[in-house]
Amino acid sequence: MSTGRRQMKLGAFLWATGHHIAAWRHPQAHVTAGIDIDHYIQLARTAEAAKFDMIFCEDAAGVREANVNIASQTSRSIGFEPISLLAALAVQTERIGLVSTASTSYNEPYGLARTFLSLDHLSGGRAGWNLVTSASQIEAANFGSTGLRPHADRYERAREFAAVVAALWRGAGTSGFNHEGRSFSVRDPLDLPRSPQGAPVMIQAGASDEGRDLAARTADVVFTAAQTFKEAKAFYDDLKGRLAVYGREPDDVKIMPGVAPIVAASETEARAKYDELQELIPDDVGVALLSSYLSISDLARYPIDGPLPELPASEGMQSRQALVIEQSRRDNLSIRQLARHFAGARGHWRVVGTPAQIADELEARFEGGAADGFNVMPSYFPGEFDAFATLVVPELQRRGLFRTDYRGSTLREHLGLNRPA
Amino acid sequence: MANGATMHLAVSLSPEAAPPHPPDAGPDFSLLTRSVQKAEAAGLDMVLLADSALAAGGGPNRQVPFEATTLLAALATVTSRIGLVAAASMVAHQPYNLARRFASLDIISHGRAGWHASMMPGPREAANFSRPEGIPTDDFRRRAVEFIGIVQGLWKGWDADALLFDKRGGRFFDPEKMHLLGHKGEYFSVRGPLNVAPSPQDTPVLVMSGLSEPDMDIAARTADVVLLDELSVERTKALHDDLKRRALAFGRSPGAIKVLMNVAAGAEMTARPDTFADRLEERFRSRACEGFNIDMPLKSTLDDFIGRVLPELHRRGLVLSGYSGATLRSHLGLAGEDRQ
Repeated sequence: MSTGRRQMKLGAFLWATGHHIAAWRHPQAHVTAGIDIDHYIQLARTAEAAKFDMIFCEDAAGVREANVNIASQTSRSIGFEPISLLAALAVQTERIGLVSTASTSYNEPYGLARTFLSLDHLSGGRAGWNLVTSASQIEAANFGSTGLRPHADRYERAREFAAVVAALWRGAGTSGFNHEGRSFSVRDPLDLPRSPQGAPVMIQAGASDEGRDLAARTADVVFTAAQTFKEAKAFYDDLKGRLAVYGREPDDVKIMPGVAPIVAASETEARAKYDELQELIPDDVGVALLSSYLSISDLARYPIDGPLPELPASEGMQSRQALVIEQSRRDNLSIRQLARHFAGARGHWRVVGTPAQIADELEARFEGGAADGFNVMPSYFPGEFDAFATLVVPELQRRGLFRTDYRGSTLREHLGLNRPA
Repeated sequence: MANGATMHLAVSLSPEAAPPHPPDAGPDFSLLTRSVQKAEAAGLDMVLLADSALAAGGGPNRQVPFEATTLLAALATVTSRIGLVAAASMVAHQPYNLARRFASLDIISHGRAGWHASMMPGPREAANFSRPEGIPTDDFRRRAVEFIGIVQGLWKGWDADALLFDKRGGRFFDPEKMHLLGHKGEYFSVRGPLNVAPSPQDTPVLVMSGLSEPDMDIAARTADVVLLDELSVERTKALHDDLKRRALAFGRSPGAIKVLMNVAAGAEMTARPDTFADRLEERFRSRACEGFNIDMPLKSTLDDFIGRVLPELHRRGLVLSGYSGATLRSHLGLAGEDRQ
């Protein structure tokens, strides 16, 4: 029931056949998800019926895995481009927020601001942009770069990019705009009317020091990965603590860690579901996924039953990499064990259990000040997502932790965010 | 029939051509939907969606508050047969992103998507896309040739039967049927492949416009549809024949390119639908073009075209009723035509 108390935000993170690397092989996974728009329309409607704040699509401008033999054993090399996907979903849904990732490295701010504003108009004020700076060499090779930009350069470009986009959104429908910066120049305002929600919602996911700083400056929502309560709480406090410098209140930014749930009526069934998925992961696929996440290309040459080797610092995803390495040391995991464990949830928080057990876990992090909500990453679609929507969401609603209906019509209203001036 | 064929018909929903009106008074998505559904019920081949950033000047009071590719995606879900073609600028986009967006639109629409590439960049584009110095015409042209080659190459990166979906065997796709592009050129280097499944219609349809003489070879080599501005019958026919000759020289069948003439529909069409039909018939029968792209500034003009001109064209046996295929390529008679 809805009272005046603080309630959690929920995102439905839609991704191909599922977040588990072997999801597509599961007997109940919809294997043609990447070419079936009706599948996505149905998922969006399921999320909307469960009153989720938003659906979220990750993105990369390239295939996920360079080794074609490995890639061909996963479903992630093909899928919808997310902005076109969300534009289609915008007119097939009415209330739910629509958030897509897009890169500051391979776009221009005028085009990106305009496209997301168009999505915002098509959806009546339900669009959001998840800013990423793109860390993969595979993407870089599709954009004429000879190599990945150093981490610091990417963030400098991203800061300017985000500032121009925010200014274009604020200035939409007015006359006169001029930006002349280090990476970008823009001479006209957007040729579209102002957003129905003031401006699309701005989301950030980078968890490095520079990523957190950019989030504190510009983001309305922060997605993050945290395995333990302690990590989640530390991140939460750190990020909220950075807001004052930019004249912002703690409540101006919603922090939503990813959670990869596996739910069933009994704990034994839930465990069995998880084991069934883990059994479907080929070793070479698990190791390759781990290698790519750790930004090292040759993990396969180390003994699979031995420990993770010492790794040099990389220009890729610095912060999440540290989490994975820390976990392998903490739990004394072999490469195979770590690969399987990681492949299941991609470094996100895995919870396996009954609806009440999962609700307990979410409640503990939410009430313990480690999260404002969660980005839900079902292991396979549609089955695992349906299970969360019909088993866990009602449990959260019974506890008063989640809304039983939408009160507003825009994504900003769902999230309790101020309308930008 | 003189051509042994019927004419292809496209309509342009063009916000720039609308008379001035107050902000927020323009049609919303549901009005646009009704127009496109009306065009579909009338059996037209395709709707061309203009993109307002491509227009000169810019300004807040646009009739259509949507960017064209996002609008196409939305319209794809409320239509089932008509082709949907969006304008997208080669200045505003990177070729990988553009190829990917349209490949995705093609799957969302079940093979009804097309990209309209103009060889005349909007005057304000460079200024808003971090090129304040502008792009010289020769550079733009060389870059466009490279750009289009990359886009079409990426669209061919996955063979039609590449996806296996073999759960038991553990193979999602056949590695032999995925091809890297490996393009390294003057303006771009693009490794590929696209991370979108192969097109349901071979590739999205490429519509080109704004051609000047040096662009004719580019169009002859790459375009599926060429839009020509309305000139005298003789001049249009000369351009049409020239394009077909060049296509043949590039090893393509002349039928692999459809030439559509841009025609503005206005008060004159509403007043004299017969005369308007005569004008189309004359150009079509003299083989100056394979059809027409009718510019529709207002919803009432579309109603008049469909209600008054189209029945006349039907009576004269110049157009077919309904769709015989499912994809835009099929509507245009391009399915199975040679493609390099």
